[in-house]
Amino acid sequence: MPETVFAPWNDPAEKPLIQFRNVTKRFGSFTAIDDLSIDIFEKEFFALLGPSGCGKTTMMRMLAGFETPTSGTIMLDGQDISPIPPNKRSVNMMFQSYALFPHLTVYDNIAFGLKRDKLPKDQIDARVKEMLRLVQIEKFGQRKPEQISGGQRQRVALARSLAKAPKLLLLDEPLSALDKKLRQDTQFELMDIQEKTGTTFVVVTHDQEEAMTVASRVAVMDHGRLKQVDTPDRIYEAPNSTYVADFIGDVNIIAGHATTQGETVSIAWADGQPPIIGTPSKPMDDGKVSFAIRPEKVAISAEKPTDRNNMVQGKVLDIAYLGNLSTYHVQLPSGIVIKAQTANSRRRASRPFTWEDEVWLSWTDTAGIVLES
Amino acid sequence: MRRLTWFNATSLTLGFAFLYIPMIVVIIYSFNESRLVTVWGGFSIKWYGELLQNEAFLDAAWVTFKVGFFSSIIATILGTMGAYVLVRGGRFYGRTLFSGMIYAPLVMPEVITGLSLLLLFISIGLDRGLFTIVLAHATFSMCYVSVVVSSRLVSFDRSVEEAALDLGCTPFEAFRLVTLPIIAPAVISGWLLALTLSLDDLVIASFVAGPSATTLPIKVFSSIRLGVSPEINALSTILIGLVTIGTIAASLTTKRAVMRRRREEQMAEQAG
Amino acid sequence: MDRHRRHRVGKLMNLRRFSLIAVPYVWLLGLFLVPFLIVFKISLSDIALSIPPYTPTLELSEGWAGFRDFLSQLDFENFEFLATDDLYWKSYLSSVQIALISTLICLAIGFPIAYGMANAPREWQPTLMLLVILPFWTSFLIRVYSLIGILSQEGMLNQFLMWIGLINAPLTILNTNIAVYIGIVYTYVPFMILPIYATLTKLDGSLLEAAEDLGCSRTEAFWRITVPLSKAGIIAGCFLVFIPALGEFVIPSLLGGSETLMIGKVLYEEFFANRDWPVAGAVAVILLLILIIPIVLYQRNEQKMMDADT
Repeated sequence: MPETVFAPWNDPAEKPLIQFRNVTKRFGSFTAIDDLSIDIFEKEFFALLGPSGCGKTTMMRMLAGFETPTSGTIMLDGQDISPIPPNKRSVNMMFQSYALFPHLTVYDNIAFGLKRDKLPKDQIDARVKEMLRLVQIEKFGQRKPEQISGGQRQRVALARSLAKAPKLLLLDEPLSALDKKLRQDTQFELMDIQEKTGTTFVVVTHDQEEAMTVASRVAVMDHGRLKQVDTPDRIYEAPNSTYVADFIGDVNIIAGHATTQGETVSIAWADGQPPIIGTPSKPMDDGKVSFAIRPEKVAISAEKPTDRNNMVQGKVLDIAYLGNLSTYHVQLPSGIVIKAQTANSRRRASRPFTWEDEVWLSWTDTAGIVLES
Repeated sequence: MRRLTWFNATSLTLGFAFLYIPMIVVIIYSFNESRLVTVWGGFSIKWYGELLQNEAFLDAAWVTFKVGFFSSIIATILGTMGAYVLVRGGRFYGRTLFSGMIYAPLVMPEVITGLSLLLLFISIGLDRGLFTIVLAHATFSMCYVSVVVSSRLVSFDRSVEEAALDLGCTPFEAFRLVTLPIIAPAVISGWLLALTLSLDDLVIASFVAGPSATTLPIKVFSSIRLGVSPEINALSTILIGLVTIGTIAASLTTKRAVMRRRREEQMAEQAG
Repeated sequence: MDRHRRHRVGKLMNLRRFSLIAVPYVWLLGLFLVPFLIVFKISLSDIALSIPPYTPTLELSEGWAGFRDFLSQLDFENFEFLATDDLYWKSYLSSVQIALISTLICLAIGFPIAYGMANAPREWQPTLMLLVILPFWTSFLIRVYSLIGILSQEGMLNQFLMWIGLINAPLTILNTNIAVYIGIVYTYVPFMILPIYATLTKLDGSLLEAAEDLGCSRTEAFWRITVPLSKAGIIAGCFLVFIPALGEFVIPSLLGGSETLMIGKVLYEEFFANRDWPVAGAVAVILLLILIIPIVLYQRNEQKMMDADT
């Protein structure tokens, strides 16, 4: 019995919380955001993902009110927010540096925004205590920011930005200052807190793993434009461009020439090799294409497989043992290197293949994606 | 991101006008033909000529130069030693007293420093003159040098010295070959500071100078008391000019060094 | 391993280290601490018409008895004299007052300049720094001198004020306390600007954005974040102005008038004009006692700033 899936972006009746309408932002001659439109819905955990300089931080700063768009409008709850200064917006931000006020205690940092709203003292106190409890730092209320650890500071920053119960919380690289282990634990806590408070989160990150873990939808950005906006699994399994395929996870990209053959296409890609058979996600014209396939979808075997259309023979060039996985770099006679990944599901002393072994790589017709290039 | 707001532009303009207008007026009036210091009588450089013929000023300038030269060198050596002791000296008996004596002269009113040194020279029967001024200036300048050099010593990575020792240097060689080149900019700015303080000092010098040695500030002070004079304007202009040239040259040198380093780093990056 | 040799090397190093410490140490003992003790001793002596002009003098040739005799003649008479003669305590009070008010004016003028510098475009900042440092390297005496021409009866300031119609007849500014205030502020304001500028440039801009994000207006963010976080620089600047201003001698004697009472000038005159060395010594001792409080506070502030940096 399936639960109702949280997917307001598929429901035409749902009204978006945030709407970017043809927003452009220029700094001098540099275009940070280029005619960008997007809808973000209430209770979403939305990730803006991209390399540094792609415009993701500018988008966030426009939402917070520290930058105004050069053209276009940004609506929050159906209202144009460009004339509203940052201190009057019901949007709060968690800064990458955390920006905790060093001269105030943890308690006063969290109470800072509430005091600006001139709330009665007991109400502020109750809210601060609630926040301290939410992020599990009740014990550190009276300490100064320099007297707590990096992970605790991150929690204070989160609590401070959540204290005013904003309609929208912006998180700028929220976990980048934490070490890997702590980062993974905190990702889940962040999701938990987002669900508990029901706040819409927009997170900016350059860490694709983080975006994939926490977000309900991910927007991949490059040079001020949106490359793809979709759920994490769609982004991974059905990237719409080589840029997205390459940016998210590991991928083999093979350039070739496609010829449609009914449901499938046949891609000629190297002299002396049989064509690759792929299934395009949408009908496409014949011509130049890229074939993208994830390493884990490429099977590696010593014997020639019999049940597959796509297979090539090559030599093992390199082996990366990652513990749970092993990645084989296999060089084909034409010189192209294809990566194949296998799970090390059994505990074994020796690897099944070693350097210079002749191996077969194979994949099914639907394992890869055919992208226009 | 930073832009000059109306408020900031105003405060900067007014602030720098306040700092510079008096000096600019002095410079302008040094070229005044008239002896009257408030009436413009046409352009002239005659006061510079008169200044250069004034034996008393020239003698005083020579004394000041000698005092500055010797006292700043002594102060630089002692001050660098003092900084080294403060930062790297470890524990020794009377360390607190030592650091107290380094920092106290910085905040000691000049009249007290001058008075106490004068009383010392009298009680040990030392004749006042050039030598006593050098001693006095070296003493308070060394503390400034110590502070400047020790701030550099604190910030530099000690493992560099340890590497030198590890590679076979004696402690003295390590200091000469590694530490000194690294702290050299601080030592030089300490020396410049000591020199300026010595050339500039009036109060302490007027306590410890005898009749045989009059420094330029003492001479200037006694003639200022009689009122504004075009010769002093000319002298001020020369001094302001020297300081301006020196400061700008120093800042350009540092700027160029920084630029060169940045360019080299870029090239290295590209090459790599 | 040659233990003997190692021992000798160790000894040599100790000797080197010893001389490294001893040279500056002895120098400062001899030329800073001892002179000050002499001042203290003389402040307990009496004025006399002799050379040197005070008694008692320590006669080491008379041995222990001479020393005891010497000690018994020292007293606090000069300090009692300072307390009873209102010239002195008025001078102290007026020095403190002048230094305090000048410090506050310096803060009022220096903070906006430092703030303007810190918020100026980054490529301007080295030049602005240079413009603040330049007067600092220029002769102090000449800067005070440059004010004399401006502040005199026929000076630029009076001419300017008459030209804009604010006054009809020239004001007497030179040789009054007003001139002393202007002089102190003019010469010491760079000391206020530099430490404040240093703390303001260290201020993380995202803190101000965070304050705005949490509901502060720009002005509110300035008072709640910028000012508290530049406190250390403000305090350092205030002490750097207050401490030297308190003992100032050149400015009151060149710009001040007969009404100007400042303790540095009194001390100088007591010593050179009245040749009363013991009283001059006592004046110096009291001045130092007054200064100890701000000096200790200043040191503590510096320590805090250093801790905050690391």
